Amino acid sequence: MTSTFTPSAAPRLARRGIARLAPWLFLLPAALTFVVWVYWPLLDAFRLSFYEWNMLPRSEPRFVGMENYANIFELSKFSQALKNTVIYIVGLLPIAVLIPLAIAIYTQDLPERSRNIYRAIIFVPMIIAPVVAAAVWRWLLDPSYGLVNNWLGALGFEPVRFLFDADTAIWTIIFITGWKLIGFSTLILSAANANINPSLIEAARMDGASNWQIIRDIRLPLLSSTILFLTMITILLGAQWSFAYIVVLTQGGPLGSTTNIFHILWDFGFSSLSVGWSSAAAIILVLGFGALAFVLLRLVDRYSFHDN
Amino acid sequence: MTTDTLTAGRITGPARGALKFRLDRWFGHAVLIALAFLCLFPVYWMIVTSLRPANEILEGSLWPSNASLDNYRYALGAIPVRAMLINTTVISVAVTAIQLVTGLLAAFAFVRWRFAGDKIIYALMVLTWLVPLQVVMIPNYLLVAKLGLLASIIALILPHFASALAVMLLVQAMRSFPREVMEAARMDGASNWRLLWEIMVPNMRGTIASLAILVFISTWNEYFWPLLLSRTPENSVVQIGIQMFMTAEGTQWGPLMAASTMASLPILILYLVLQRQVVQSFLQSGLK
Repeated sequence: MTSTFTPSAAPRLARRGIARLAPWLFLLPAALTFVVWVYWPLLDAFRLSFYEWNMLPRSEPRFVGMENYANIFELSKFSQALKNTVIYIVGLLPIAVLIPLAIAIYTQDLPERSRNIYRAIIFVPMIIAPVVAAAVWRWLLDPSYGLVNNWLGALGFEPVRFLFDADTAIWTIIFITGWKLIGFSTLILSAANANINPSLIEAARMDGASNWQIIRDIRLPLLSSTILFLTMITILLGAQWSFAYIVVLTQGGPLGSTTNIFHILWDFGFSSLSVGWSSAAAIILVLGFGALAFVLLRLVDRYSFHDN
Repeated sequence: MTTDTLTAGRITGPARGALKFRLDRWFGHAVLIALAFLCLFPVYWMIVTSLRPANEILEGSLWPSNASLDNYRYALGAIPVRAMLINTTVISVAVTAIQLVTGLLAAFAFVRWRFAGDKIIYALMVLTWLVPLQVVMIPNYLLVAKLGLLASIIALILPHFASALAVMLLVQAMRSFPREVMEAARMDGASNWRLLWEIMVPNMRGTIASLAILVFISTWNEYFWPLLLSRTPENSVVQIGIQMFMTAEGTQWGPLMAASTMASLPILILYLVLQRQVVQSFLQSGLK
């Protein structure tokens, strides 16, 4: 079209200006939310990690440089929290990945209808609120009146103080966290397993491959990207998932045995009212998990490429 | 493996295979029944305990001999459960609606246009998924305090105005939307606004419903942010209410289980009605 004459040029330019702005207008609400509630606070936490402050109205933040970082690394509580974070993650991996994987592979031949019923049931913990799960398990595991200890007593065992014994408490919290997750992982792995082309399995069977060989050489490689995905979210989020159970059930105790990095942030910030320590721990957490996420995401990238 | 064992296997194959198949299936059922029991029993026990009268609370029977609603009456009197349930509902509905709108708008921008920095901005939005609330809680808390919203339920909604999950799932859904339809609508002179709301959204009902379920359930179950902000029971959510029956002095098991049941009932009913859809939406979020 060549019939552009001058009068219409101005509005057209204006319209083009709006057109260029359009994507930004559509992005604005979400972007603003993330800036105000995530990215700006992240910078602010970084700044606060160099100050000493207790959040009380009349006190002023005092610049202390790297002191907060030096101090928290000297606390045995903090190193215990770091150690426990690793225990939480490693302890959750079998429940969130290995057991569901075994179940998904073992139960693939069940008829559609019964599979759907199981599926509906094992999914229930996933939709139950963490606080409710904590309350119910606290009741079931109560040392004097809980059903589990009743059963153990009937079998002739001494009552176990699941949540009140420094040796068992962390494993109890890991178990409850896993209880919420296991159905979800099982369903994801079952769905991925069901997506494997049956003719591949048939062909291998014709060639005389044993069940174990089929699992090892066909199923596991084809499931690798799903397995990797579940492993990744467990490593990155596992310790975080247990936070609600720690706060509701043990407050990090007994003797600090169940605290982890997420709980220690909360403890420093809102129990000890030490903004500097909490922020310094937060920055360490972000750097640590950020590095981990970077490595894991690259791994996932490589494997999902191989899968396609 | 030698040819001998192979042929031997082939001869006895069918009979042995059938037996093995049946055993495998039996074993599969056994494993799943055990898992289903583990998953469902605690929820069942919560409901049963909540129905036991106070003097029978420690009973181990599978069904209360005298079912009663005493614990519910007690719980309703001890804390403002009704107000809490209303607050939780208002917050969950509002967060779901807002997150869908902001997510749809942002996703549309990413799918419809190419602009400077689009990939980086998308990555930054997705990465917020990895920033735990514990890390930003102090600055967020200070901001809410500065706005004077500490005791209001608006503060419980504000940080959830957008989520990485919504943006991600909606971008994926829109990318698979047929390009020809979008082009045709543009040729007809439809504005971007109409293209989004009148053409794309009605065709993405499945994804939107899934996402709404996910957001609703996770907002309903949220615990940490309300824990930071709750000042009075009347302005709080039901998850905080549950906690009030667990004190250092001891736990009132009956009312605790009654409050837990009341807090879970809306979600459990939603699940009973939309079971397939709920499972599907969680699976989708995980598979992508």
